[in-house]
Amino acid sequence: MQTLRWVGRRLLMGLVTLLGIALLVFFAARLVPGQAASVLLGPLATQEQRDALTAELGLDRDLFTQFGIWIGKVVTGDFGDSIISGQPVLDEIALRLPVTATLALMALGIALLVGVPLGVLQALRARRRGGAVGSRVISGLGISVPEFVLGALVVLLFSTVPLGITIGAFTAISDDLWLGLVSSLLPALVLSVFCAAATARTTRDAVLGVLVEPWIQAAVGRGERPWAIVRHHVLRNASIPILTLAATLLAYLLGGAVIVEGLFNVPGVGSYMLLAMDRRDYAVIQAAVMLAAVVFVVMSVLVELASNLIDPRVSTMGATT
Amino acid sequence: MSLIEIDDLVVEFRTPRGTVRALAGATLHASAGERIAIVGESGSGKSTIGTAIGALLPANGGFAGGTVRVDGVDVGTLDRPGLRRLRRETLGFIPQDPIATLNPTMRVGGQLALVVRDLGGDASRAALAQLLEEVQIADPADVLRRFPHQLSGGMAQRVAIAIAMARRPRILIADEPTAALDANVRREVLKLVFEAAEQTGATVVWLSHDLDAVAKWCRRVAVMYRGRIVEDGPTASVLEAPEHPYTQSLLAAMPSRLRRGVEVRTYTEMLASQAGEPDDAEVGA
Repeated sequence: MQTLRWVGRRLLMGLVTLLGIALLVFFAARLVPGQAASVLLGPLATQEQRDALTAELGLDRDLFTQFGIWIGKVVTGDFGDSIISGQPVLDEIALRLPVTATLALMALGIALLVGVPLGVLQALRARRRGGAVGSRVISGLGISVPEFVLGALVVLLFSTVPLGITIGAFTAISDDLWLGLVSSLLPALVLSVFCAAATARTTRDAVLGVLVEPWIQAAVGRGERPWAIVRHHVLRNASIPILTLAATLLAYLLGGAVIVEGLFNVPGVGSYMLLAMDRRDYAVIQAAVMLAAVVFVVMSVLVELASNLIDPRVSTMGATT
Repeated sequence: MSLIEIDDLVVEFRTPRGTVRALAGATLHASAGERIAIVGESGSGKSTIGTAIGALLPANGGFAGGTVRVDGVDVGTLDRPGLRRLRRETLGFIPQDPIATLNPTMRVGGQLALVVRDLGGDASRAALAQLLEEVQIADPADVLRRFPHQLSGGMAQRVAIAIAMARRPRILIADEPTAALDANVRREVLKLVFEAAEQTGATVVWLSHDLDAVAKWCRRVAVMYRGRIVEDGPTASVLEAPEHPYTQSLLAAMPSRLRRGVEVRTYTEMLASQAGEPDDAEVGA
């Protein structure tokens, strides 16, 4: 009961956050110079034609009225139609979401599989002189190399040297599971580098924090083996910051990896959003950003719920028991 | 051969402000089944000597001289697996703050089961409940389901004793096990520790500063001061006729010996006033 009330309160707060984001994205999208009518009709259209289209799209009213109309529809689940295709925005996004979701889950999976063990190892070796310098350099690089540099390098490598994966020929997993996974692999790898490095760093810090706790010393005093101690007494206790990071990364990845999707020609939410910005397709930009925001809000509620389960002393639910 | 042989042990810690000597040539021998209390003020080296027996010094500390032998084996020469075996098979520690030494994310039952399984024992619910019954926990099924932060201090200390005794250690090292407990719970916990040791024949090394309780439970007491054992002998004679002035000052501060109107001075104050007297005399002359 208490949990339900807490979730309700959190979701309400989430709605307020979403309203703020809606305001921001709505006005920010319209601050971009250039009008939809000009983009749609091209440079040869007359002023009358442009005005007529602007009126037809409802873009001639003042911004607050436009916002009111849009948000009024959004609450009923209608995000409007794409100016370009005329299709409902949600249908367009639903078409591309599986591609982005595959990419996001693969990247996150790789990041956790690499980052968590690496971070644990770094923490265990932290006390030795010069311990884990190599892996710290690697994770430092992973955090600081931008995706467009790494992505461009990978694209260059795979398009000049025949390595068995064709860049640019994307197959959706709904068409062919195996080919779909293979074509997601490279962009997922590029995305996972930053995520793995961040995961390793967070894991290292979290594990180092747990290693000095008295219950670890007690386990050492009982003569338990190092890996048994890590498994039973360290991982779970260190998992809350790692989980928080993973949720943030997933939300970030699901929002559409704009740069990487563009580089690898992946028809996901990210590259669709890029296209929409180019065309001033406001409804699409707004819906894509709102989608990412919803994912963030839901993720943060889920993480807090999970934290309460992982560590019984954590009580973010308010009222002390 | 004694079970524990600590000879001329020097332990140093590296700190940002230089090297600190926690043990400065401490010597202590204890035979199998003996109960020995080590008393002394905070910083005298009690805890260090306790952890040195298991070579469990913090990372910034190390042996800088002397030896610790357990059952004839020099623990300073043991490799990691050897140390683990020593800790698993011979030593049991009872902590000062029992709640903190239990994993906060794991139920008591889970932690007990881990320890028992590690020793190849029976980790069934009934067997675990039996272990808790042996440390006088009235409702073991309920306690097994609880998380450490849901236990009282006394209850947590019983669980810690159960964990230590599950391994039938030959040496039980208790570092002020009652410091965090209420007076009436203290008595019960000490009784439990010494009765459990009695049953298994374990040697008890009890680090304490409660001289009244020491007089009750231990026939032998060692007094530590500034990293050395300054007095070691039968409790009765040490308490009746202390030889070292530090022991005398320690005894004068025992709650049961306090007298109304008699000032209690610490050893440091005593030393300071003794050193000051000649100067006063000179001024007077």
